[in-house]
Amino acid sequence: MTPPAIEVGALTKEFGGLRAVDGISLSVATGERRVLIGPNGAGKTTLFHCITGTLSPSAGRVALFGRDVTALAESRRTALGMGRTFQISNVFANLSLAENLVLALIGTGRRKWIMHRPVGAYPDLRRRALEGLEHVGLRQRADESVKHLSYGERRQLELALALNSNPKVLFLDEPCAGLSPGERQRISKMIGALPRDITLVMIEHDMDVALGLADRVTVLHRGRIILEGSPAEVQANPEVRDVYFGHV
Amino acid sequence: MPGGGALPPGTSFPQHLALTMMTGAILQAINGVSLAALLFLLASGFTLTFGLMRVVNMAHGAYYLLGGYVGLSTVRATGSFALAIAAGGAAIVLLGYLVDRFLIRRTGENHLAQVLLTVGVAFVIGDIALKIWGGDSLKVHVPELLRGPMELPGGLVYPAYRFVLIFFSIVVGVLLWVLYRKTQIGAVVRAGVDDREQVSATGINVDRLFVIVSALASFLAGMSGVVGGAFLMLYPGAEWEILVYALVVVIVGGLGSLEGAMIGALIVGLLDAYGRWLLPEFSYFVLFAPMALLLLVRPRGLFGKDI
Amino acid sequence: MGRVGIGLALAAFAVALTLPQFAGPFWMGLVTQMLIFGLLALSVDLLLGQTGLFSLCHASFFAVAAYTTAILQVRYAVPTLLAAPAGLVAGTLLALGFGLAVRTRGVYFILITIALGYIVWGVLHRWSSFTGGDNGVTNVPFPAVGELRIGSHTEYYYFVLAVVIACALVYRVLIASPFGLSLRGIKASETRTRSLGYRTGLHLYAAFVLSGLLASLAGVLYVYYNRFVNPVSASFPISVEATLMAIIGGSGTIAGPFIGSGIILGLRNWVSSFFELYATVMGVVFIATVLWAPDGIVGLVNRLRAARARRKAL
Repeated sequence: MTPPAIEVGALTKEFGGLRAVDGISLSVATGERRVLIGPNGAGKTTLFHCITGTLSPSAGRVALFGRDVTALAESRRTALGMGRTFQISNVFANLSLAENLVLALIGTGRRKWIMHRPVGAYPDLRRRALEGLEHVGLRQRADESVKHLSYGERRQLELALALNSNPKVLFLDEPCAGLSPGERQRISKMIGALPRDITLVMIEHDMDVALGLADRVTVLHRGRIILEGSPAEVQANPEVRDVYFGHV
Repeated sequence: MPGGGALPPGTSFPQHLALTMMTGAILQAINGVSLAALLFLLASGFTLTFGLMRVVNMAHGAYYLLGGYVGLSTVRATGSFALAIAAGGAAIVLLGYLVDRFLIRRTGENHLAQVLLTVGVAFVIGDIALKIWGGDSLKVHVPELLRGPMELPGGLVYPAYRFVLIFFSIVVGVLLWVLYRKTQIGAVVRAGVDDREQVSATGINVDRLFVIVSALASFLAGMSGVVGGAFLMLYPGAEWEILVYALVVVIVGGLGSLEGAMIGALIVGLLDAYGRWLLPEFSYFVLFAPMALLLLVRPRGLFGKDI
Repeated sequence: MGRVGIGLALAAFAVALTLPQFAGPFWMGLVTQMLIFGLLALSVDLLLGQTGLFSLCHASFFAVAAYTTAILQVRYAVPTLLAAPAGLVAGTLLALGFGLAVRTRGVYFILITIALGYIVWGVLHRWSSFTGGDNGVTNVPFPAVGELRIGSHTEYYYFVLAVVIACALVYRVLIASPFGLSLRGIKASETRTRSLGYRTGLHLYAAFVLSGLLASLAGVLYVYYNRFVNPVSASFPISVEATLMAIIGGSGTIAGPFIGSGIILGLRNWVSSFFELYATVMGVVFIATVLWAPDGIVGLVNRLRAARARRKAL
């Protein structure tokens, strides 16, 4: 039997006595699409940070395809196949869109260390960067500065960055946050159209988006898992209605 | 060095050497602690303003020097050392307020801008001070009462002034500690070190608090110039040397921590004294290298927090 | 901008080439100095302009390289061909050590580099048996390789010009390379670069060492120009001034640090010829730059232009 894409064991993260994540164990199968929901402050983003290595957990372990990565730096985890987006758009504002994509493309390889030739000397990078932008509908703006992008376009670029770091497991932190209904649909369509061999773990507040995309849903509350199940099970659960919908 | 000269009767050379080393070691300890006392006075202001306002003020050394010069002139004019301390401190409070209000305030939280700007301020202060007080090394005269030598048990002799300085610094340290730990102002400052948002959330008039704390820091800087000018020399360039010592104190202790400044001052003072004594050519190395190593292990210093 | 830029660069090159025809020795000396300090400012800006790190210890690499070359040439009669590379190696080795400061960021990085810079100054100043103390090392000869020797300040000027142009060309490739792009990515968002697989600390460390190498090169050029070196070359004001040069000219560009060096050294020479308080003037330049021209001359021109365009539009 193949090991799960992501396995989290008894993970805890404390901030000065406050337990943001309180002993969470979680397993996501390869190719699965998992959505995490829960009210604000439930510990979803902190859990993400701990899995991807942005933060180091106070206790517990994280495994990627059966390999323990708890002690590995974030960059190593990315090299092993984790990719992520940020809740607040985290793109390179001083660079062009194409340059943003190039940074994603060379991040996990050795080419980021090349010093003796300009980026322009590698036509394949340019080509792949444009392809990546095409995929999120930003190709026409490839040579503009990110400064000129709208909020929604930044979210699209954010997704493009994560996709082009060649992830096997993709962590999406509220990819649709703050978007108009039209943009929201567009992004969720994009996510839905991702190849099925990419494992998806996604935080989402919008129940329609979440339940439309998810194979399984995990509900977090105050740093703990209160329920895990199929979208239908979760929707039907009275406790979830109480905790989750009661707060929104 | 005291205890030198001919061998006292009945002692062998190795015994004598050991004795000399012992007295030397004790004297250096006092040297170190008195330097620490001075550094604490200077660094505590720096660390508090940083903790509360996130301001890196590189003119702090120039404040020290100018405060010292003002004190020196006050002693010359009035003969009163106490008045000199007050005048040196007050002059810097005024200057510091103007620099803060009209210059530093405009840099926001950009540390690069703060550093360049306050270096510029320090250049101007240093240059004008050079024009007024000249390029010679000057010393602030201390009153007769504090000047004399003091006999220590074991036949050691040491200037009384240094002990007064140590005592004075302890008193100031205790007062600051009470302010920092036991008053509302202190609570807000500490909250500010942990989390800036909290300061605004307390509903306190933040602007006024900033003015009070930076006035306090300015006073400490100017005052330390006067008390420091009475045992170290005042000369053009002294502002940078003392600043770097203060920076090391603050870095070792952890930015924004008063307790850190106390411990840091002691470490720096003692390392400096023993370094100068045992390895005069490498005393800077002895002082800074351990600091560099410490920071590689603990980048936030001994008591520092993530900022 | 590209074509204008190339035009300007060619014009500057033509002026630089013919300069000795109409400028006297004093001016040639000053211009040589501007080029050398421009190179030092460029080394500072490799960190500041490309990675966002604000280092204040670059005078250390500059000075250690200068001292190493000077001591080898003067005291041990080592030929230039060995003494100059030895200077580069010494400065770069120091950068390998000091580079560990990239473990810290922001204000900690600034303060730590200041303190590290003082170690070097202090050792040069106090270790007088080896470094000559405050007198430093004097009587450094002109560089010579076998029969080929530089015999005048004009010849040395051409040599420095050639080195500076070579450096500018290499620097251009470096910042346009995948590595250079990575540095600008780190400057924009370190968290993002990390999540894309970059070991950002290692990238910054490499940039720091390269920057130290460049500063060392400036130091070696300086010691052959100045013919002596003392602890002032390692002092904090040199480091800050190099930073100011980069900012005043335009951080993040190649020409900027050289323009800045020209402005600062030119201003200092001019002001000190008639005004005693020239350090005050320098201080005011620091303050004015921060308050009114934080993006340097380039940024200031752009802003004034934009303001005029707005006024016209109204």
